[in-house]
Amino acid sequence: MTDTEPGAGMNKNSSVAPIPSANGTATAVAEPVAVRIRDLNFFFGQGDLRKQVLYDINLDLPYGQIVIMTGPSGSGKTTLLTLIGALRTVREGSLSVLDQEIVGLGRSQLVDVRRNIGFIFQAHNLFDSLTASKNVEMAIELTEDWQEKRERAVEMLTQLGLSDRVDYKPKSLSGGQKQRVAIARALVNQPPLLLADEPTAALDKKSGRDVVTLMQKLAKEEGRTILMVTHDNRILDVADRIITMVDGRLETDENLAQFVSSHDPKSLDRRMFVM
Amino acid sequence: MRTPLAFLNLVHEKTRLGVAIAGVAFAVILVFMNLGFLGALSETAAAFYAQFNADLFLISPQALEITTATPFPIERIYQVAGVEGVEDVMPLYVNYIQWRNPETRENRAIFAFGINPDDPTFLLPELQSAQARNSLRRPNTVFFDRLSRPEYGPQETGTRTEADRRDVTIGGQYSLGGGFAADGTIIMSDQNFRRYFNPFPLDQISVGLIKLEEEVDADEARLAVMELLPEDVEVYTKEGIIARDRNYWINATSTGFIFGMGVAVALVVGVVIVYQILYTDISSHMKQYATLKAMGYRSGFLFYTVLQESVILAVLGFIPGFILSMILYQLTLTATSGTLPVVMTLTRFIFVFILTIFMCGISGLISVNKVIQADPAEVF
Repeated sequence: MTDTEPGAGMNKNSSVAPIPSANGTATAVAEPVAVRIRDLNFFFGQGDLRKQVLYDINLDLPYGQIVIMTGPSGSGKTTLLTLIGALRTVREGSLSVLDQEIVGLGRSQLVDVRRNIGFIFQAHNLFDSLTASKNVEMAIELTEDWQEKRERAVEMLTQLGLSDRVDYKPKSLSGGQKQRVAIARALVNQPPLLLADEPTAALDKKSGRDVVTLMQKLAKEEGRTILMVTHDNRILDVADRIITMVDGRLETDENLAQFVSSHDPKSLDRRMFVM
Repeated sequence: MRTPLAFLNLVHEKTRLGVAIAGVAFAVILVFMNLGFLGALSETAAAFYAQFNADLFLISPQALEITTATPFPIERIYQVAGVEGVEDVMPLYVNYIQWRNPETRENRAIFAFGINPDDPTFLLPELQSAQARNSLRRPNTVFFDRLSRPEYGPQETGTRTEADRRDVTIGGQYSLGGGFAADGTIIMSDQNFRRYFNPFPLDQISVGLIKLEEEVDADEARLAVMELLPEDVEVYTKEGIIARDRNYWINATSTGFIFGMGVAVALVVGVVIVYQILYTDISSHMKQYATLKAMGYRSGFLFYTVLQESVILAVLGFIPGFILSMILYQLTLTATSGTLPVVMTLTRFIFVFILTIFMCGISGLISVNKVIQADPAEVF
């Protein structure tokens, strides 16, 4: 399959059965998974302004899987991502990240969970004042590894093809290079779970492709779980599994082949343009 | 070594850093100048004590400072004269008198010292010669302070005018300065003093001066003298009475308040400037700080980063502020031809440095709230 299929939009009118289905992950046997979500509800605001944004989410993400989450804007994808990333406190349901139940955890405990998660944002969020290497070293410093942080940062950047840009500040890097530095920063501590929100949105086609190929390679080689929110259907092919969210609910959960067939241009639905 | 994020962030924005340093330096200069003037004034406030040829001073407890010295019996200094280690005791009479400017014929209060011409009361070189003593002994003759304000008129020897409706002739000059107490001073003999402040009983003295033998310790002698004398006089060493007068002029008048206010205003200005800079810096790095939090940095780390930035600004601003203050001190000294002795002291250096750190620290603490609120969930 190719990375770009012009018509492979995200058709939320899919006929595929609701979650969980294709991968059979929701078994009763508690095999170790990176993320296990059960009956998760989430609300924004309080009192009269309380608004539910996630309804009854059930989801398992096994180790080593690349999962792409898609769906229209406002469907709650990013919110779910921030919950899995332990960036918000959760009160209802069960959310287990890397075998740690995070529902009910305080802010301080959430920070400890976050140290095992790599984050890649739409914007690179690098410090302009720090060189590529220093930006990556900021992440290594969390592990208190003072001796080898420089070598590790350089090694990581080299893996991402930036060996000749180690001591450049973000101002002197291209968009793709900056995003690769951000990825190096997210990966350098070898987190078992990587969360990415539109990592290719700010990149041109080639840089975007390079970035996801890199992520795919690292996931496969080192058994990491990657959960990526994206609207960019040029990169869907890296996914083992594609889940669709609509209006705060998990709508579909398919492998790539199913997704492609259900999103075939022949059954193109006008509503895909809503996105 | 931890990446010096605070320093690199500050240095990265050259213009902003420059403005911040200028702001801190400005506040530092204002503080130094206010403290410098205050210090110089406090130095001059009681400077004339240095010219008294005495180690211990007797003064009435009711005196606020020397010009308000209430008379006490001359017996007190005679009592001290017998104490071991005392070389000499001398009476001093002080009061204000109306001095007429012979040119404008305007009266103005001038501060008069009355001394026994035979006593070496003053260290002033102009008063040491036998000729000067003889001039002092002449009736209605006074010595005039060159450092008196020009409003008192001509100071030449032989100038005749009136003091409190009595003829007076200037018999010589000296350089003393009246400090805060007086715009001008004159020195006259006790006999003349009695005449001008008629009837002034010479057995009631304003200040008792005690000259100790050379090897005698002033503090010990003071304790011995205090034990001997009743409570109608207080005994001070030279440093003690200078500190007493100085304290009165600086703290019991608005002088200290005015310059203290100057320091406070400078600090507030500094706090506002540094706060503005830090706040702008934090605002432009909100996404990065939130990302750090997502990565697993705690709020405490960001708290320290901002405080570090404020301390760095304090140090970077203090250095040029200090150097410029030294230059301004020198300029002030030159401009006032030494009458306003603004000089840098180590204590003041340390004090202002701590004050600067404190000032920037306050700004840091005010602005740190914003960075604590950086929400990693908002970065997505």
